[in-house]
Amino acid sequence: MSNREKYNKAFIDSLELEEDQLEGLTYQGVPSWDSVGHMGLISELEDAFDIQFETDDIVDFNSYDKGIELLKKYDIEIE
Amino acid sequence: MNETNELKPFSLNAQELQEYQPNRYPFLMIDRVTEVVPGKYAKGYKNLTNNEWYFPKHFPGNPNMPGCLQVEAMSQMLTVAITTCEGMEGKVAHGYKVNVTFHEEVHPGDRLDIDAQVFSFKRGLCKGHVTASVDGKLVAEMDNTILIPEIFYQFRPKPVDKDKEA
Repeated sequence: MSNREKYNKAFIDSLELEEDQLEGLTYQGVPSWDSVGHMGLISELEDAFDIQFETDDIVDFNSYDKGIELLKKYDIEIE
Repeated sequence: MNETNELKPFSLNAQELQEYQPNRYPFLMIDRVTEVVPGKYAKGYKNLTNNEWYFPKHFPGNPNMPGCLQVEAMSQMLTVAITTCEGMEGKVAHGYKVNVTFHEEVHPGDRLDIDAQVFSFKRGLCKGHVTASVDGKLVAEMDNTILIPEIFYQFRPKPVDKDKEA
């Protein structure tokens, strides 16, 4: 599974979304991505990529695109 | 932050449990915690007498414990399972999600035994499953998500500023 597929799967599984909803998605852009949904998403991503997000990054992670940018800090490239 | 304490079980009497559970009369819905392992589980009970404030009105002729208060009692027990963790003592917990099933009425004279199991507790967010029984018979069960705002909201993201982006 590619990093893009893992990344998308984390959103789809934790926020109960379809793949075509991901592009341009932002925090609170769908009902399931609320503050609690966010923690579920963060946990899914940590498990998927075997990383531990820093607190500042959890707070800054407010969109699908922003997450891709933040993951670079953890040497995760989403192609 | 270390959110799990030592794994040795201990108990809390009616006075001691108030160090970990900030609700007070008439909304403290648990009497004793018979066994708790911080971050893992809490078990205990609520004794119901005819003197409970809600029985005269719920309902005349057939007093029984309101379902919403059973949910509260079960949530309070789950709260104790996490507020006994190091650094969490007495912190306020908020409910987020409840999926509850009620099986039987609960009456004056009953002892409501509650078993709260923690599935996960991370960054102030706790997911668990709680059962309540009387005389060994299941009366209610629920999946419950609670959070400790003081911790949880430190991790809340900033909403995207659409105007700024445009």
